[in-house]
Amino acid sequence: MVYILILFIIVITLILRFIIGVEAKTLLTFYLLGLIIFLFSFTVAEMPPFGSPDSPAFNEVPRRYLESGVAETGAVNIISSVIIDYRAFDTLGEATVLFVAIAAVIATLKSH
Amino acid sequence: MPRLNLTKRGRGEFAIEDQIVRITSRLVTPFIQVYGIYVIVNGHLSPGGGFSGGAIFGASLVLVALSFNLEVGVKQISHQTSSILESGGALGFVLTGLAAIFLGGSYLANRSAGFPMGQAGELFSAGAILIITVFVGIKVASTIVTLFYNIIEGEK
Repeated sequence: MVYILILFIIVITLILRFIIGVEAKTLLTFYLLGLIIFLFSFTVAEMPPFGSPDSPAFNEVPRRYLESGVAETGAVNIISSVIIDYRAFDTLGEATVLFVAIAAVIATLKSH
Repeated sequence: MPRLNLTKRGRGEFAIEDQIVRITSRLVTPFIQVYGIYVIVNGHLSPGGGFSGGAIFGASLVLVALSFNLEVGVKQISHQTSSILESGGALGFVLTGLAAIFLGGSYLANRSAGFPMGQAGELFSAGAILIITVFVGIKVASTIVTLFYNIIEGEK
C-alpha cells in the first residue's frame, strides 16, 4: 500500500516536472508544505479533546482559579479575575505595548 | 437613485456625503457608546472587559469621523483630550498598582491590599478589578481614536 503511494507520488512528480513543465523549486515547496501539513495533522489528532479532564493543561493552577477564584478576587467572571488580578502584571505589559505602539506611530507620522 | 453630494477634498479626491449613512450613524452611535460602557463596566461580571469595551467605544467615534468628516470627528474628541486620556489610562493602571503597595499589599494586589470587595456578582464589587478595567477601557478607546486620526491626517 505504502509502496503504491510512493510510486504514485513519483509518477505524478515526473509528469508534473517533465510533461507539464512545473519548475523543480515550486514542486519542492509544495511537497515540503504537504509534509508539514501531514505532520501537524498527526500532532492535532494526538491532542486531548477540548474540555477533557485529563488534559495536561488542566493541572492544579486552573483548578485553583475555578474553585477559589470568586472568593479570592470577588469577580464572577473567572477570565477577568485571571487577567486583571492573578495575571495583572501581564495585562500591564499589554497596555504598555499599546502605549509604545501609539507613541511610535505618532512619532513616525508627525516627523514629516 | 439616491442623490450623492460630492465635496472636493485635497488632491482631487472626492468624499461621498450620503444622507442615509449620516443619519444611520447619528442614530446608532449613542447606542454603540452605551453598549461599550456597559461592556467595560461589567467586565468582572460578564464576558467582555476593558479591551473589548474600549474597542467598541473607540469604533463608535471612528464611525462618526468616517460617516461625516474628520473635522466633525475631531470636534467630538480633540487631539489633546484623546492623548491626555491615553496617557491617563496607562498612568491610572500603574497608580492603582502602586496604591496597592501603599495599602499594604504587593504590586497590583487586590484582596490582600484591602480594596473594597463588595458582594460577588454586584456591579460595584471586585475592588481593583473594576478600577483597572475602567482605566484599560479608557486607554484602548483613546488609542483607537488617536491611531485613526493620526493615520488619516498623515495621508495629507
